[in-house]
Amino acid sequence: MRNILILAHTILLGLFLSVGVNSQTIKNPGVLVHAADDEATTLDPAQVEAGEGGETVILQVYDRLLEFGPSGPELIPGLATTVPSVDNGMISDDGMTYTFEIRKGAVFHDGTDVTAEDVKFSWDRIVEMDLPEGQAGVISDIVAETQAVDDYTFQVTLLEPSASFLNSTVVSMAASIVSKDAVMANGGVVEGEPNEYMAQNAVGSGPYKLKAWNRGENILLDINENYWGNKAKLAARIEIGAEPDVRVLGLRAGNYDTIETDPSFVADIEGADGVTLHTGGLLLEPIHVGFNLNIPEGALPKEDTIPTDFFHDPRIRQAFNYAFDYEAFLYGPLAGFGEFNPHYLPIGIFGHDPDAPRYGAQDKAKAEELFRAAGYWDNGFSVSVITEEANLFADAALVLKDSIEDLNPNFRINVLAVAEAVFDEAHAQNPVEYAMWVKNADPFADPHPYMSAYQHPDGEWGEVHGFANGYRNPEKIAELIDGASTELDVEKRAAMYSELQKMLFDDPMWLITAQEGVTMAYREWVTGFVHNPLWPRPSLRFSYLDK
Amino acid sequence: MQIRDYIIRRLMILPFLIIGTSIIVFALTRIGGSPIGIYLSHEMSPAEVQEMKERFHLDKPVPIQYFYWIKGVAQGDLGWSGVASAPVIDVFPKKFAATMELAIAAGIVAVSLGIAMGTFAGARRNKFADHVIRIISVSGASMPLFWFSILLLIVFWVWLGWFPIGRSDPNLFEAIAHPTGFYTIDALLAGNWDAFKDAVWHLIMPAVALGYGATAIIARMMRSSLIEELQEDYIDAAKAKGLPKNVVLKKHARRNALVPTVTVIGLTFGFLLQGTVVAEIIFRWPGLGRWMAAAVLRGDQATIMTYVMFTSILFLIVNLIVDVVYANLDRRVELGD
Repeated sequence: MRNILILAHTILLGLFLSVGVNSQTIKNPGVLVHAADDEATTLDPAQVEAGEGGETVILQVYDRLLEFGPSGPELIPGLATTVPSVDNGMISDDGMTYTFEIRKGAVFHDGTDVTAEDVKFSWDRIVEMDLPEGQAGVISDIVAETQAVDDYTFQVTLLEPSASFLNSTVVSMAASIVSKDAVMANGGVVEGEPNEYMAQNAVGSGPYKLKAWNRGENILLDINENYWGNKAKLAARIEIGAEPDVRVLGLRAGNYDTIETDPSFVADIEGADGVTLHTGGLLLEPIHVGFNLNIPEGALPKEDTIPTDFFHDPRIRQAFNYAFDYEAFLYGPLAGFGEFNPHYLPIGIFGHDPDAPRYGAQDKAKAEELFRAAGYWDNGFSVSVITEEANLFADAALVLKDSIEDLNPNFRINVLAVAEAVFDEAHAQNPVEYAMWVKNADPFADPHPYMSAYQHPDGEWGEVHGFANGYRNPEKIAELIDGASTELDVEKRAAMYSELQKMLFDDPMWLITAQEGVTMAYREWVTGFVHNPLWPRPSLRFSYLDK
Repeated sequence: MQIRDYIIRRLMILPFLIIGTSIIVFALTRIGGSPIGIYLSHEMSPAEVQEMKERFHLDKPVPIQYFYWIKGVAQGDLGWSGVASAPVIDVFPKKFAATMELAIAAGIVAVSLGIAMGTFAGARRNKFADHVIRIISVSGASMPLFWFSILLLIVFWVWLGWFPIGRSDPNLFEAIAHPTGFYTIDALLAGNWDAFKDAVWHLIMPAVALGYGATAIIARMMRSSLIEELQEDYIDAAKAKGLPKNVVLKKHARRNALVPTVTVIGLTFGFLLQGTVVAEIIFRWPGLGRWMAAAVLRGDQATIMTYVMFTSILFLIVNLIVDVVYANLDRRVELGD
């Protein structure tokens, strides 16, 4: 099947350049047709995974207390009428209590009023359900108590002061506000069990109402005429799962208004009649090679010759970072759309320090020096890297293979490109039975989740991957990450992340291949186009668009 | 053996064949590893993975998993499709109907055109029309489906804009009830002429693409069978009796030529079902084939099991039907001996 699709791709690319359509004739008037990549898994905020296709719909049909505005990280009111701050008195002086005034007149799609009780119910619900695939931790890790003070006042008490509460918890798709009446009438809340009704329906208060979800075909969204804010101008239809070639053809033919694409299709779209290519901005999901410092004895593939403590030596991890051909990856698979950013905080995220030391240019001499110092240069090694097949991750793994093997013929990298499901299962083992993997990180709007989830020695992944076995000073790294999460002074906080980046440069646990650029394409007749990487992919709020 | 007795006997054997097939298929899918991966993301922790395994009983030994699966099937629960993000039992009827609608439409194209072209060519052996039909047939049989589909797509969807892809105009589709799942039939039942036109309009490209290859096979078979029949003595006898040429061709030669052709048509149904995978992907037809392809690529074993069992049962039934039709066409055929 894959060969057929590759051949079909080739044929299409050869033929579609001659496609010509009347770019002035607006097709599908009154409806925004967006061609998406994946099927959503669920529409329930309590069940959706970060970065998953369901978040695309949740963004449109649900409201949150606050939202990211159209032009960046600034917060704008959602169902809360005001963005809390210490100055306006809605954050207590000790930073522990947040008060939200709930918008009067907002109604759910089922006609019931949005009240503080619905907000409390929505937040408590996700914590009570605590689904393994969901994001309960977004709330439970930070919130001690929620309270509906009155019908239109909602108050949150935190476990400890948090610098990231507003722009990581409150704006999260998981913190979307659902209709309590609708949930209770359709299965209620059961600990550890998904709510099948909410997974397949949506009763929010957002600018769109879910009209239909035809699996594998489309998701239809109607304009919510009772929306409290600016009403959407177009109904929306999300076309699901069209092959990338078909999406490009459909866009050129004017049958699709916006499409999700990747850098490999940019050359086919650039210059097309009536099509605008948006390439500004960067995705917030660093593609990286992960190092395993917790390899169980006897678990590695039989081709691997490295000892289980191979990556405990920071010189080995540094050597890999110096050896990688960053240019080959950025100008090859990414077609130049991205940035060298071997930092642990993506560009665009608070705390990213552009002056911090970084890898980002191949330095073979330095890599050789480090491999020699670590004692592997003469005898070499063989090590496997597991990744998903046929995507950018596999490409990054191949660039790694070329880079390392080109350095020394005694070095061998075995790329195990497997189906997504196989990779997910392999990566979810504890301990992981592979020495390296390639994937991307989840996107976040605040630096704390990047650091706590991925780099903290006792964090969600740091513990599984044994980072405490390799950090030169794990206590200091933990102290900085924990401290930055509760530091409310912006400058001090930024300095802490800057220091963390310096430490992680010396003591890298990842090899960050690049920060992928945004590549979106849309018809010229689409107006009001705004794209914010902080919104779930495809990072569009349909209600802003018109044609 | 009487046809009725033969059918009853085959139907009695059917459940045992299905259970046996299900055990083999279940075991084979588990050889490929645990199906848990489809329900995971690469950000799930080991503890979360364990919870997911418990939810789907995948923490149990394989025989127990089979017990849960077969128990679920008995209760109408075919598992959860990770690809479709819905219970398989909810999605399957819709996908099945979509694929059957496409396969039947393609079959209508293939059978009607194939028999007509084969008859036309056979009656004009080695004449110009025969050569033209041969070229059409050979190109149909040799042209890869994905290639022909892409050509149709580019010409009729992108360039000319005459035919859409997908299965329906969503607004028309949502405007009617879907008691059968067959959009054409449901549109007629609803008395919605616009929806019916929409259904047919969406069917044309994938049905022609899919049916073209089968048309060629049927036409070639029909032609050669007809040529053989036209050389038989009974044809000379019929002509000698003074029967019109048209009657000899249609009433005598074509009827007998249909016997081997019907066998080919039966086999062609399998060809059409296989072809739906490619046609559905290229034309974005929301059917079983596209669903299955995604399921295989992503290891969605609940969907794979359902599809394989479905096709197995379908082939058992189609084979039975072909046997019966064959016997009706040629009374000399003995059943079950």
